[in-house]
Amino acid sequence: MKVDKDFIKHIANLAKIRLSKEQIDKFTPQMKTILDSADVLQNFDSEKIPQKRYNTLEFEQLRDDKPAASQSQEEALRNAPYNEKGFVKVPGGVIDN
Amino acid sequence: MKYDVIIGLEIHIQLKTQSKMFCSCSTDYFGKDPNTLTCPVCTGMPGTLPIPNKRAIELCILMGLATDCAIDQSIKFDRKHYFYPDLPKGYQISQYDEPLCKNGYVMIREDDRTEKIEIERIHQEEDVAKSHHIVDPTTGLEYSLIDYNKAGIPLMEIVSKPVIRSAADARLYAARIRQIARYLDISDADMEKGQMRCEPNVSIQLPGTWKYNDGKILPAEKSNKSDKAAKLNPKVEIKNIGSITAVEKSIDYEIEWMSRELENGNELEQQTRGWNAHTGETEFQRTKESAEDYRYFKEPDIPIINVSTSNVDTIGEQLVKLPSERENNYIEKLSLTPYDACVIADDRANSEFFDELVSKVSEEISGDLSEAAKLSANWLTGIIFAYMNDSGKKITDINLRLEDLAHIIAEVQAGKANNQKAKKLVRKALETDGNLGELYESANTQVISDVDELETIAKKVINANEKAAQDFKSGKQNAIGFLIGQIMKESKGNADPNKAREVLIKLLES
Repeated sequence: MKVDKDFIKHIANLAKIRLSKEQIDKFTPQMKTILDSADVLQNFDSEKIPQKRYNTLEFEQLRDDKPAASQSQEEALRNAPYNEKGFVKVPGGVIDN
Repeated sequence: MKYDVIIGLEIHIQLKTQSKMFCSCSTDYFGKDPNTLTCPVCTGMPGTLPIPNKRAIELCILMGLATDCAIDQSIKFDRKHYFYPDLPKGYQISQYDEPLCKNGYVMIREDDRTEKIEIERIHQEEDVAKSHHIVDPTTGLEYSLIDYNKAGIPLMEIVSKPVIRSAADARLYAARIRQIARYLDISDADMEKGQMRCEPNVSIQLPGTWKYNDGKILPAEKSNKSDKAAKLNPKVEIKNIGSITAVEKSIDYEIEWMSRELENGNELEQQTRGWNAHTGETEFQRTKESAEDYRYFKEPDIPIINVSTSNVDTIGEQLVKLPSERENNYIEKLSLTPYDACVIADDRANSEFFDELVSKVSEEISGDLSEAAKLSANWLTGIIFAYMNDSGKKITDINLRLEDLAHIIAEVQAGKANNQKAKKLVRKALETDGNLGELYESANTQVISDVDELETIAKKVINANEKAAQDFKSGKQNAIGFLIGQIMKESKGNADPNKAREVLIKLLES
C-alpha cells in the first residue's frame, strides 16, 4: 500500500481531524511502519490451513421483538465529556447535515 | 431537453418494530426526552454484543417478497465505518455485498402509462442518532446536540437500479414504495417524522454517449478508433428530502442546474447536495465518500443467520393484495378510470371498503359489477372522501353500515331517491356517527314523480309567478328554469326535475 502525505491527509479528512504540516510529516513514516507490519500477515500463506466456518445462527434463535427498559438519561450521559439539556454536546462542523 | 436524464433512488424506511435492531431498547422515541432510550449496546460501549431483531428481518424479507426480490437465505451483516458523532460505535451495522433481498421490481402507473422500475437491492441496517445544530448567539460558536434515542432503530434501504428517466417517475416510484410499506404494515413511512427518507442520485448525459448494462450506466462504445473515449457526467446525490413532492421538485431543480452548468462549459463533480424546501434549491454539502473509504468488513459480532425456505414461506403468508394488482383489477375487471383506480387503491383500508361496497351495491342493482363499481367509486371519492378530508378521519374510523349505503346508492340510481338529499343524509350520518338506515327511513327523500302530484305543485307555482309564465309563453325559453326552481323549492327538493319540466311545459302550452 502506498503511504504518502496525501494518504495521511485523506484519512485525517475522513476522520474529521485537522493535522498540522509537522504532524503529517511525523505520522507518514509511522503509518507506513504500521501498515507494513500488517502486510506481513497479508503475505502469510494460509492455503494449507483448513478453513474454519463462521458460527451460524438459525432464524428461530434471533431475538424476539420485545422492548425492555433502557438506562436512565443520567447513566447514558455519564461517559459524555459535555452535555446540555439531556443531549450529548459535540463540536460543530463535524456533521454535514 | 437536450440531455437524457438518469435517476436512481435510495429509500430508507424505518421498520415498525417494538424494539431496536440490535438491542431491546424501545423504538417509541417520538416526543421522548433525549437519551432516555439507550443502552450499552446502542451507544456502542466496548464489550457489548448486538443481537438481531427477528421481526425486523421478517419485515425486510416481506418487503423483498412484495417487490419480487430474491431472498438471501444466509444473512450476513457488515460494518460500514465513518466518523460522525451520530454514530456511536464509529461504524454502522449494515449489509454490503450480500443484501437480504435483490433483483426485484415494482410497477408504477400514471393514467394509462405503466413502467417497470427495477430494484437492485433491499438491505437491513440501523438508524443513526438525531442531531441538532446550534450556533451560540453570544460567542458564534457552532456545536451539535445529539440524542441517541433514534440510534439503532431498524432501517431498510431500498436501492433502485438507475432506470428512472424523469423526476415525475421518481415521485411515482417513491409513492409506490411507501404504499407497499403501508399496505403490509412494514412502516407508517411518514416522511415528516423521518420514518421514510428518499435520496435520489441524478445525472444527465448526452444521447448516444451512454448505455445501460446490468444495473450500471456505462460509457457507450466508441463507434470508431478516432473517437475520443466518452466520459460520463458524474452523478449528484440529493439529501434532506421531506416529502414525496419534494422528490420531483428537487430532481427537476438539479437537472436544470446541471444542464446550465454544462451549457456554461463548467465541469460537474460528484457531490452530495441538500434540498432546501424553503428556497426550492439544492445546496452543496460535500464531495461523496467512495465505497472503499467506508472500509466495509464482515460484522464479526453477528454470525451468519440461516433462513430456511419454510421461514420465508411463513413470512410470505403476511402478503396481501398489493396496490398495483388492485389498480389493474379495477381498470380491467371493473372498468374504472385509471385515475379513480389509483385514488382508491392508494390506501389499503379505502380499497377494502370499496371492494365491500361494490359487492353490496351490485346485489342491490342485480349484479352489474361495472355499474356497481362506477357508482361506488363516485360515492366513495365524492361524499365520503370529502368528509374524511374535512374531519381528518380515516375510513376505519367510519361506522356506516355498508348495506344501508348500498341501498341508498341504488335508490338514487333508480331515480327513487333525491341525489342531493341522500348525500346530505350520508354526510349527516358520518358527522353524527348516526344510523344511516334509520336516518334514511325517517327522512323524506322520496322523489315526487307522480304526474298528478306534480301538476298540483306546478299550477300553484304558475299562479304565484304569472310574469315568468307569461314570459315563457311569449318565447322566453329560459323562464322555464326559474319555474322549475320554484317547483323544487315548493316540493322541498323532492320533485323529479325532468318530470317537472314535462308537466310545466304541458300546462303552459295548453
